[in-house]
Amino acid sequence: METLQYILRKLLTGIPLLLGVTFISFLLMVYFGPDKTYELLGKSATPEQIEEVRHQLGYDRPFIARYGQYLKELATMDFGHSDSTGEPVSGLLSRTIPISLALITPGFVLGNLIAVLLALVAAYHRSSWVDRFIMGFSVVGMSISFLIAIIGFQILLSSSYGLNMFPVRGWNMSTVGNYLSYVTVPTLATVFVSLGYNTRFYRAVIVEEMTRDHVRTARAFGIPPARIFYKNILKNSMIPIITRVIFSIPLVVISGSLLIESYFGIPGVGKVTFDAITTGDQPVLKAVVGLTAVLFVLAQLLTDILYRAVDPRVTLK
Amino acid sequence: MNAPAASALPARREGLWSKALHKFSRDRAGLISLVIVLLYTIVALGVWAGLWATEWADVTGTKWMPVSSEYWFGTNLIGQDIFQRTLYSTRTAFEVGLVVAVLATAVGALLGAVAGFFSGSWIDEIALWLMGVLDSIPFYLFVAAIAFALQDNPYAMHVAMISTFWTTVARLVRGEVIKLKSLEYVEAAHAIGVPEITIIFRHILPNTFHILLVQGTITFVAAIKSEVILSFLGLGVKDGMSWGLMIAESTLEVMAGFFNNFLAASVFLFVLVMAFNMFSDALQDALDPKKV
Repeated sequence: METLQYILRKLLTGIPLLLGVTFISFLLMVYFGPDKTYELLGKSATPEQIEEVRHQLGYDRPFIARYGQYLKELATMDFGHSDSTGEPVSGLLSRTIPISLALITPGFVLGNLIAVLLALVAAYHRSSWVDRFIMGFSVVGMSISFLIAIIGFQILLSSSYGLNMFPVRGWNMSTVGNYLSYVTVPTLATVFVSLGYNTRFYRAVIVEEMTRDHVRTARAFGIPPARIFYKNILKNSMIPIITRVIFSIPLVVISGSLLIESYFGIPGVGKVTFDAITTGDQPVLKAVVGLTAVLFVLAQLLTDILYRAVDPRVTLK
Repeated sequence: MNAPAASALPARREGLWSKALHKFSRDRAGLISLVIVLLYTIVALGVWAGLWATEWADVTGTKWMPVSSEYWFGTNLIGQDIFQRTLYSTRTAFEVGLVVAVLATAVGALLGAVAGFFSGSWIDEIALWLMGVLDSIPFYLFVAAIAFALQDNPYAMHVAMISTFWTTVARLVRGEVIKLKSLEYVEAAHAIGVPEITIIFRHILPNTFHILLVQGTITFVAAIKSEVILSFLGLGVKDGMSWGLMIAESTLEVMAGFFNNFLAASVFLFVLVMAFNMFSDALQDALDPKKV
């Protein structure tokens, strides 16, 4: 009951954030955004037809009314139809989001898991050549542009100039084998690029926990290293790690897949968003921005609840 | 200010900056990376002054000429000199990096300091809300939206990066200011009636300068990397040349087995970003005694 109350209160405090995000994006993308009137009309349209289309698109209504309409759409999750294809936005999203999740998830999970492992190894061999090697590797990873990693892996693995083992571009999820062959190259590029930043961050967190006084005391008392590692180091490092992982989810879903999907021609939500940007498809943009903001509020809630799970001192108040 | 008597001075002055300089001068990787960054700076300044890479847009050769003494990196699909285009792009990268790094750091420092000084008040609440909002808008959407709202202004990309990158600086500065404002010297300044604005900008903000310096270099790298991806997607540099545009034009060539354009742009980008990352690390090592 207490938790439920907490969740409700937390969701309420998320409202200003939602209002801010939707207001700024509405102002930029819709109010100052592209005017689609003349694209939808043929040449030599009559003033009545222009008036008609502008009314349909809602251009003739005052700002507040249009923004209110957006909030209503967000609350009911009904964003109308895409300007470009005429497909309902909800159908478009429910078709493309699973593809993006299937594309992003392996890279995201591996990128964080391997990074934590590397960070642990580096932290345990602090200042030795193992540490220096891992850290050198992560600076290299940080310095390679995502774009270059994508093209590089594509040349090495999918072209006749390299191993030529995987399809160059496109997407197919009909069988597991197909899925694996299409997902491998994007995943490798994602893991390669995210390892650098993640490893560095996680190593700094773990080293900080390792050098705390209570760890030294525990060692002095002869507590077995495995127990110290689990109870005193790993558990305490979890808070910053959880925060980083969860807060990167909302943006990874949209921004992370945007480049991969538009490069490999994968029909996920990133590609849809990119097309909506270039064509000014406002119903789609409104939906994507609104949902990202909702995801952020949920991520905040989730981190608070997980903090409670790893640290009993945290109370949900 | 009068110099105190010589006997009162310690043998060596030990300030933050002199110590940092001493530490930095012993950091071999840091020094090498600084030299590389300076070399790039000279290249960029030379392009800006019109000393070299003046023919980057001219078609001087034929399609896909190999590496030669005249065309150091060969020529691209339509016969332009890749070497000149690579050098010219260095200038673009520096221009984007510097403008974004300086302005984003300045905005972040200003708003972060004010938010931190008035922490807990409505000013702080508003600042935190604004940071949360800007961090929650997908970056590429934001850039595209600003580009459109500014009617394809060439600085739309800069504006978008500055308005999103300042939040990280502001959060760090805010945290540091909250720590600093409870120190005795600030209390003393309050007690003798120094105006709050003077306390923030003369007494507190200068003490966050080491954070600003390191964050400035990190923002510089982030701006260069974002510029490449944005230009590749067609949302960044419109007129002019950049490594992102070179990579965009090379994707056709790569599939046909001509790698010069791709390699030139990516190697130049990689070396600059790597050097800057190492420089930033050395700077952090020198300035932050706690860094591990």
